[in-house]
Amino acid sequence: MTHGTRNLLLLAPAGTWFLVMLLLPLTVVLIFSFGERGTSGGYAPAFVLDQYANLPARWTAFKNTLTLAPIGTLASLVIAYPLAYYLAVKVDPKWKTTLLVLVIVPFWTSILIRSYAWIFLLGGRGLPALLDWVGIEDVRLINTPFSVLVGIIYGYLPLMVFPIFVSLDRLDKRLLEASSDLGAKPWRTFLQVTLPLSVPGVATGCMLVFILLMGEFLIPALLGGGKVFFVGNALVDLFLQSRNWAYGSAVAVALVVVMLITVTIYMRFINRLGVNREDVSMV
Amino acid sequence: MNSAGYGSGAAPKNSMIIAELRGVSKRFGEVCAASDLNLSIGEGEFLSFLGPSGCGKTTALRMLAGFETPTEGDVLLDGEVVNNLDAHVRPVNMVFQHYALFPHMTVAQNIGYGLRQIRPRIPKAAIAEKVGKALATVRLVGLEDRRIWELSGGQQQRVALARAIVNEPKLLLLDEPMAALDRKLRKEMQIELQNLQRQLGITFVLVTHDQEEALSMSDRICIMRDGKIIQIGSPQELYDRPRNRYVAGFVGTSNFFDGKVTGASQDLTSVLLQNGAEVTGRAMAEVSVGQEICISVRPEQIRLCRDGEGESVVVLNRIFLGEHTEYLVMHETLGEFLVLSPRQSELNDGPFNTGDALSAAWDVSAALVLDRN
Amino acid sequence: MVKKNDYISKQKFIDELYRYKRGSVTRRHFLNVTGLGAATAVLGTAVPGLRSRPAFAAGDIGDRVILATWPNYHDPDNFDAFTEATGAAVQVNVFGSNEEMLAKLQAGGSGWDVYVPTNYTITTYVAEGLIEPLDTARLPNYDASAYDPRFSDAGSVDGTLYAVPKNWGTTGFAVNTSKTGGRAMKSWKDFWDITKEDFSGRTMVHDYQLTTIGNALKYFGYSFNSIDEKELAEAEKLLIDAKPHLFAISSDYQPSMRNGDAWMTMCWTGDGKQLNVDIPEIDYVLGVEGGELWSDYYAIPKGAPHTDAAYALINFLLNPEINAKEVLAHGYPSADAHTNKLLPETLLNDPILYPAQELLSALEFGAAATLTDPNRAELMARFKSA
Repeated sequence: MTHGTRNLLLLAPAGTWFLVMLLLPLTVVLIFSFGERGTSGGYAPAFVLDQYANLPARWTAFKNTLTLAPIGTLASLVIAYPLAYYLAVKVDPKWKTTLLVLVIVPFWTSILIRSYAWIFLLGGRGLPALLDWVGIEDVRLINTPFSVLVGIIYGYLPLMVFPIFVSLDRLDKRLLEASSDLGAKPWRTFLQVTLPLSVPGVATGCMLVFILLMGEFLIPALLGGGKVFFVGNALVDLFLQSRNWAYGSAVAVALVVVMLITVTIYMRFINRLGVNREDVSMV
Repeated sequence: MNSAGYGSGAAPKNSMIIAELRGVSKRFGEVCAASDLNLSIGEGEFLSFLGPSGCGKTTALRMLAGFETPTEGDVLLDGEVVNNLDAHVRPVNMVFQHYALFPHMTVAQNIGYGLRQIRPRIPKAAIAEKVGKALATVRLVGLEDRRIWELSGGQQQRVALARAIVNEPKLLLLDEPMAALDRKLRKEMQIELQNLQRQLGITFVLVTHDQEEALSMSDRICIMRDGKIIQIGSPQELYDRPRNRYVAGFVGTSNFFDGKVTGASQDLTSVLLQNGAEVTGRAMAEVSVGQEICISVRPEQIRLCRDGEGESVVVLNRIFLGEHTEYLVMHETLGEFLVLSPRQSELNDGPFNTGDALSAAWDVSAALVLDRN
Repeated sequence: MVKKNDYISKQKFIDELYRYKRGSVTRRHFLNVTGLGAATAVLGTAVPGLRSRPAFAAGDIGDRVILATWPNYHDPDNFDAFTEATGAAVQVNVFGSNEEMLAKLQAGGSGWDVYVPTNYTITTYVAEGLIEPLDTARLPNYDASAYDPRFSDAGSVDGTLYAVPKNWGTTGFAVNTSKTGGRAMKSWKDFWDITKEDFSGRTMVHDYQLTTIGNALKYFGYSFNSIDEKELAEAEKLLIDAKPHLFAISSDYQPSMRNGDAWMTMCWTGDGKQLNVDIPEIDYVLGVEGGELWSDYYAIPKGAPHTDAAYALINFLLNPEINAKEVLAHGYPSADAHTNKLLPETLLNDPILYPAQELLSALEFGAAATLTDPNRAELMARFKSA
């Protein structure tokens, strides 16, 4: 066997994966996006730009997504960081694994069932009933942007906690001692050492949550009462209700493009912070 | 000998005491990392904690730095108890094992870190000036804007040093600072450190497991084992007058022969060795008749000759060291031991070869009667 | 019948299973949404012991007949009786949506003998050549004159009979009368007006363009099926004005109505009946302006393998005595006068199942064109994203 053939064979599994998992579906979506809706739904072959010309009709969905995805990401970060910090830095090492598992336990059940738990908790017989009991009346939580945000934070928390936990856990604790030794008060040590060195974890977590949020449809549908309309919801309706595959594909392509642009800008920003992986793995 | 019984050196000679451990113990759960440490450190002194890993030397250092709080006893700095003072308020700086440099900062930012924490703020220009001086002191001028990972191990060590001394601490703590350097670089740095210490006049406290490093650099060495201080003294004191077999073995090399005390006079102690031979030596501590002890004889204090007084031995191995030659010899009943023979003494009947039958002898004053522990 | 969802994901399945366990949905709704009925039916035939055996030797019509229908839509005792009488075992395949049924028939080789299409799909089946014309001579129990023509008309296309009526239902709204402050709720005008006032944050509409847009059109008195641009524009304005006052846009309205979060919702007959039985202050109302009416039919697909058995089964189920048992089992009204004569008075007088004639006459059947109209789909998207 020649060297070349062997290399090709070694490349085959990755190549196949790339082809089947990434290129093939994307190509299909791309082809569909230039087609037309079939008379009884679905897709009819054509080469027209109508679907793309029609994209502004889903502008609100894009606007909603591009508003709530960053807010949701930021909110997840704000909640996840202290939790990850506590797990990585403060917790007795013998409890670390147990507590980490507890963070993932909710992931063992479907997000749908967990969202239904929140429907109950935020619904009239849940938290508002409790508030009513202590004298705060007529609080409505379910089917509001707030409840969607709660669902998002809850659903995506582990995705944010884990990368941050890893970067904080890997952080050389002697750096914190060094900082303290050099006269830095604890909170200044946090700002000057801990926080900058956990940027890779924060960046990874934000990226994961943001990308997944861009395609989210279940949480707004369940906890937003269908009143919060993301691009994901637009896609569900286009493919499953009005069965307009061509237009749905164009919206999907647009979503991918928007995501690529946002992620590129985001990467630039992270790189400008001047911290890369190498920095952290070095210590 | 003072009350703590460490030997003569628990307090420094002729200098102000800057730091002190008074009956300090530290327990981590069931584990006792340090127990009843008593020690005074004098201003401008170079003191080393020497011992194998797990002996408690790092714990002692960390209590001085403020990273650990003693379970019992007091840590004093400048005469004040600082047990509950956090590391960031102690006028003490540390050079960490593996340096613990901030990877997200440049060399200059690392060195200036301590100065930037001071309130009220020091003007930027003043910080830059001090950082520049520190860089010059550790001979790193021109590397200000380098990233840490762009530096060699030796350079990183200098940055760590500069980062600590720029704050002009009362006490500079060094935790195995040269463990990561290769042998040649280590030698250079040892000399440089010594020079630096003299030049700055800062008190250095070094933690090391390398006896050579401790012996060559320190004014005083504190030998530790199992969380306890075994002996404190100058390198010479420890070498010449070890308190027990452990110290004698840790500071330099020695030959040990087990035996039992048969009689003790003012200066000399009679010992019956296990082979039945009766020898005399100097006791380093109180001994009583019948006590199980050992005799320690340094290799360089044993004389070899072809004909003469002494024990009959056969040469097993010879290592030429230049100025000296090291012989491994075999005695019928005492077993193998080392002899370090100077070139001069061999002029008459040397050099000896493997297989030669020789006589080995030592002075009574060279035979130290030591506790076996 | 009208379907709430055209799809079922794994998660949706688990969700439905849990709700089914909690008892907040009927088994019918669960099977409908999950399509699990099809799975159990297939399982039933795969395990020989589970199949009912003929009581005597197989007759002329063969030993089996395959029925594609909706979940919980029949009285199993009737099938046993059929098998006993004819020797043909009834094998049931259950479906979740008309779209799914259509797709299966389009793909070919369904192997069905009888299926149950909803009124608005029949023209499509005819156009696609997937449905067999019916020979009334082989259906002696079918008395066309006994049926309310509204529920039997859709069975004939261009004068040819393709399908015979099974039962029907309506789409109105359910309202918790304890919250209205004595105000009588009678119309879609009432529905939308109170939503923007006292019921702000308490009203639900379907996540389904056919009914949500249709019932908004009704506010202005337009046709439920309108695809007129000007009329749709008015409906859109109403929907968008009302949106901030809605509790939710969802077809899963029973839980919220039951726990009190929602006070009013667009609602199908069956759900309305269930809510009313459990919580009497919840009324089921048909808007005086009209709204949707739907009807399900029996039909035979092209290429049915056991045509004789198919005719025998349909004929058997159309027998008024058998059909009356069916109605008692599934709780939906029949359009057959002979059947209704056999039903208890209380049921026939139930205003939810059998609304008053003047209310019924205002209702419209959903049209195939309405369901797939791209403008209405876009309107719905704008409404949901507003």
